[in-house]
Amino acid sequence: MRRRRTFGLAALGAVGALALAACSSGGSGSASSTSSPGAVAYNAGLTSIVNQSTKKGGTLTFDWRSAPDSFDPGNTYYAADWDFARLYSTALMTYKNCPGACGKELIPALATAPGVVSDKGLTWTYHIKSGLKFQDGTPVTSQDVKYAVERTFDRGVLPNGPSYFANLLGGNAASYPGPYKDRAKNLMGLTAIDTPDATTVVFHLKAPFSDFDYVATIPQTAPVPPNKDTGASYQTHIDSTGPYEFQSYQVNKGAVLVPNPQWSAAQNPTVSQLASKIVVNMNMNPNDVDNRLLAGDAQVDFAGTGVQAAARAKILSNPSLKANADDPLTGFGWFFYIDSQVPPFTNVACRQAIEYAANHLTLQNAYGGPVAGGAIGSTVMPPTIAGYKKFDLYEATTKTQGDPAKAKQLLATCGQPNGFSTGIAYRSDRPTETQGAQALQQALSAVGIKTTLHGYPTATYFTNFAGVPKYMSSHNIGIAFGGWGPDWPDGYGFLDELTNGNTIVPAGNTNIGMLNDPVVNNLFSKAAGITDETQRNAIWGQIDEQVMKDAVIVPIVYAKALMYRPTSLSNAYFSQGYTLYNYGVMGVTGG
Amino acid sequence: MITFIIRRLIGTIFLLIVVSMITFAIFFLIPRLAGQNTYQLAAQYVGRNPTRQAVLQVEQQLGLADPLYLQYGRFLKGIVFGAHYRSGPQVTYCPPPCFGYSFRSQLPVWPQMMSDVPVTLSLAIGASVLWLIGGVSIGVLSALRRGTLFDRFSMGVALAGVSLPIFFTGLIALELFSYKWPIFPNVQFVPFTQNPLEWARNLILPWCVLAFLYAALYARLTRAGMLETMSEDYIRTARAKGLRERKVIVKHGLRAALTPIVTIFGMDIGLLLGGAIITEVTFSLHGLGFFTVQAVNNQDLPEILGVTMLAAFFIVVANLVVDILYAVLDPRVRY
Repeated sequence: MRRRRTFGLAALGAVGALALAACSSGGSGSASSTSSPGAVAYNAGLTSIVNQSTKKGGTLTFDWRSAPDSFDPGNTYYAADWDFARLYSTALMTYKNCPGACGKELIPALATAPGVVSDKGLTWTYHIKSGLKFQDGTPVTSQDVKYAVERTFDRGVLPNGPSYFANLLGGNAASYPGPYKDRAKNLMGLTAIDTPDATTVVFHLKAPFSDFDYVATIPQTAPVPPNKDTGASYQTHIDSTGPYEFQSYQVNKGAVLVPNPQWSAAQNPTVSQLASKIVVNMNMNPNDVDNRLLAGDAQVDFAGTGVQAAARAKILSNPSLKANADDPLTGFGWFFYIDSQVPPFTNVACRQAIEYAANHLTLQNAYGGPVAGGAIGSTVMPPTIAGYKKFDLYEATTKTQGDPAKAKQLLATCGQPNGFSTGIAYRSDRPTETQGAQALQQALSAVGIKTTLHGYPTATYFTNFAGVPKYMSSHNIGIAFGGWGPDWPDGYGFLDELTNGNTIVPAGNTNIGMLNDPVVNNLFSKAAGITDETQRNAIWGQIDEQVMKDAVIVPIVYAKALMYRPTSLSNAYFSQGYTLYNYGVMGVTGG
Repeated sequence: MITFIIRRLIGTIFLLIVVSMITFAIFFLIPRLAGQNTYQLAAQYVGRNPTRQAVLQVEQQLGLADPLYLQYGRFLKGIVFGAHYRSGPQVTYCPPPCFGYSFRSQLPVWPQMMSDVPVTLSLAIGASVLWLIGGVSIGVLSALRRGTLFDRFSMGVALAGVSLPIFFTGLIALELFSYKWPIFPNVQFVPFTQNPLEWARNLILPWCVLAFLYAALYARLTRAGMLETMSEDYIRTARAKGLRERKVIVKHGLRAALTPIVTIFGMDIGLLLGGAIITEVTFSLHGLGFFTVQAVNNQDLPEILGVTMLAAFFIVVANLVVDILYAVLDPRVRY
């Protein structure tokens, strides 16, 4: 143990250099990776590939405290599912295989290259690789991609996935009912997607959308053969195009995947086929998952949300265990909204007073402290998001316990020198939010703001309570706790649903701050038409700063999670693409 | 006796209808009375940030906009006659008893529940054998050796057993016997038909943990019952007649003391068959208890209705069996 510890410490210094080398190399995104191998050390998986190996064989076991919303690539909306889906489905685009920030870069998977933009940003054309086959040997065609997208339009049958295609595509997308009700020839009635030949698929948008390549990473673009589609039950017999196919799948219990003989690394090098079997155990007790990881009975925590308190204590107090752990920023942000339509928060100074009054240290502790909770935030976007710009308008990171004097000054400016009363909404079945609401209540009372706590169940939080603007106003609830993990790691993915004025809806609202700032809205419109990534990223930073000036969101922490990678796991590294370990390239050292 | 059983079975059907009505009302009627509309209800079953059209599609698919009596009638009809569901390119027939399609997994509820029954059954039967043997034996011995060190010690352990929750004893057992000293490593359910030895090996820890709680309870109950019975006049008479002490204890003492034990055993086994929720969650065993937790967490009404009715059925049947056993145990009882 001592030897490993010494080695690990010595290696820490080298890790940074290795990571730089890894991320600066161009790379094809192949599964064999462009990065240098990393030593076993705490946080080594953030910047290097730990236990790099091409060894084949063995059983790779994923333990999951929950279960997928669906394994059907067209019907899922969890990052972990999307990461895992690459093992049995092939979307048009994917993320580059390398640790750290370069994992956010996009590379083609089913496509031969990123989308070609034409027609003033309204048309995106992808050519798909020839020679790719389904597990039964049938060649993949562009029509299978079109059909895969079409079927996601029938939300009555496939309700779980995102709605980007319905929102972004032109033609008859707004009224298209999906292929199950489609009366067009060959079930290909969606006019917004053309397939001029067997290897070309063309998307026609109703308005320019420069992030469309990110949309093409969603498993909804993974091909589905129309004659094999069984709708809701397709999840139990998926026709694989990835390195693995399902041998068995018991919904909510577990799955076993075995190598797909029709897959070859030459056709799709973005994933690998190392383990001879992949086992997924679902709905496990979270503490049991941790213990199994520590005992080596399982290699991966599928959810990737970090170990529980008991395992955390064990890992952090034991150097040899700690050397097998990473504490990454998960790309998730925890914050609370200030509803700009609930008086007196209609006055920006009153909102800014809350920004200053909040005690960031107690809030951070409520969320689990610096290791399990995260780093104190000063911006809406976490640093892992493309377009992140560092700034701290309200001194959250320097005056971590808040600035009550400045808060009182702003209260006076907004005509509330003696404070006021408001409500705080939070999800009462989440201990972190409950403690966070209590911590905020205490901090606000110090500046004369009296608050009432309103706890609601998670399942109906957005549909019935915090996400219903009328409910918030009629119950005088001006503050609501929330969090966000983007669908893809850039400013649009993080900011749009939270701050774009056109996302405000009467129920299920996620722009709870009710921000409808023309400056912000115009910046979103501007970014949608810019194909240059650097220019676009600069705009995300501007939007973030404007939102913070508008003070409708108070960042709490950039979420972190302590994650454990057993020594039996090979090619372990944290990718900022899905902000999880890269499930597409893992193997086991034994077997 | 036959008439009694038929009467009870008819009563069971009515009871299950009432249970289903109450469950249905809790999840559909009460939210409506509290102001929730069907659009909000449907929005819970669509992915994040759905379009309005998507929510309306789900609302239509699940039939949430229909009047409540129609939805309930459809549910009952499905149980008796089966139902047809649009599940994609084709319409799928769900044969009776069709408890509907899960709002979350889009799969029929009945087969999902049936696949969980062997887990719960294995857990409940194994644990009940352990706690009956352990609990009743300790209770009898304690009563017969009242005031001795054994009595005090066993009743002390029993008190601990009743007081310690399963999620605590279960985790401790896992930590000690699965990870620290891996005598029972990697606990996972293996069907009896697949490998009886592995089935037993994997269930020993959950059995012991569950049985520890119940054995403690049964030991205390048996002890109290035995103490009361053994001080009855007819016991003294039996001894005076010159019967052997073992016969006095087993035939006259224990038999009488067992009546309340059988009653509570019927209730307990019925409840457990409906799902040993905490034990199953602690040991990640996917039985009906785990199914219930998931159904509630997901607000999945068809699953909740299904598992509630199945649990109610188990309890009613277990009580029926207990009532029949009364006649065997107590000669005064006749049906």
